[in-house]
Amino acid sequence: MIPSQPERRAAFKAGQRAILQSLPGAATWGVVSGVAMVKGGLTVPWAIFMSLTVYAGSAQLAALPLIASGMPVWVIVATGLVTNLRFVIYSAALRPYFIGQPLRKRAALGFFMTDFTFTLFMRAAQEGWLPERHRDAWFAGVCSNNWITWQVSAITGIVAASYVPTDWGLEFTGTLALVALVGPALNARPALVGAVAAGGVALLAHGLPYRLGLFVAAIAGIAAATLADSWSARRATAQGEASS
Amino acid sequence: MNAPIDGIALGIVIVGLALSTFVTRTSFLVAGARGRLHPRIETALRYAPVCTLTAIIVPDVLMHAQHADFSLLNPRLIGVLVSGLWLLFSRNIFGCLALGMAAYSLVRLAQ
Repeated sequence: MIPSQPERRAAFKAGQRAILQSLPGAATWGVVSGVAMVKGGLTVPWAIFMSLTVYAGSAQLAALPLIASGMPVWVIVATGLVTNLRFVIYSAALRPYFIGQPLRKRAALGFFMTDFTFTLFMRAAQEGWLPERHRDAWFAGVCSNNWITWQVSAITGIVAASYVPTDWGLEFTGTLALVALVGPALNARPALVGAVAAGGVALLAHGLPYRLGLFVAAIAGIAAATLADSWSARRATAQGEASS
Repeated sequence: MNAPIDGIALGIVIVGLALSTFVTRTSFLVAGARGRLHPRIETALRYAPVCTLTAIIVPDVLMHAQHADFSLLNPRLIGVLVSGLWLLFSRNIFGCLALGMAAYSLVRLAQ
């Protein structure tokens, strides 16, 4: 994976350095996801397999309570898919930077992209310190350090949690981690509106057959958030016109 | 409550989740010609994770034997409330987990 050409190698290493400061955050989330997987009921081999293949903390955390309560397979996969939908936006945003690269490389850079590495890439692009050349090697450096840190910390959490007795109630850390994912996002009013709608409908629709309640709730929340978003955007333009 | 997913079904779940990661992350990077996201669809996609995760958390915390349990004796509710309070003042996830677990354990012990 490490490029052999000196210039590309330098870009790769610069990428590895650029992500260093967010690695403690990635490691914390890695450990939490590892503990939550094992305490959520997965055996150590399944948990390691999930961490290596899925490599998406929020989708993994979202799937755990559904796996534990024996939801149908398609419900769990569809829920993970919806949780991952934000990556479609990221993928569209990265496209102009990598469109000249071969297909296989674009696919690899896409798969190893996460919330952390995407945010860093876009910040570098906006602040003007993204390298002019060999951006693919630079981003590969960013993503490789993030991947290694995440997997090492997740597996550490998986193994450590397997020694903790079940009656400590550590499975609840999975729910709390989901709260920590949602909480900061509620700063934006449309997200708050969407979450309130989703939560309320989830309670009301809990008894629906085929566990459809989860999707009804998610769709109601997304609709409410989208409406609130367009409403606040319209109000912002109206205010802009009034003041000009 | 059904039995937890295990065995082959669990394997299918994990492979399916891995595919969902791969498909969403690579979508526009591998798509041919010029695909673009409609602004309204982009808005909907932006709010999808928060809404889905909330739709998972709320019943998980409140529902108990087919009834919503809003009482202060519900350890999960207290744990989530304490974690949420912490998040109003800090993004530190260690504090969020430690305080939430402590409150949850205290209520469980008190019962």
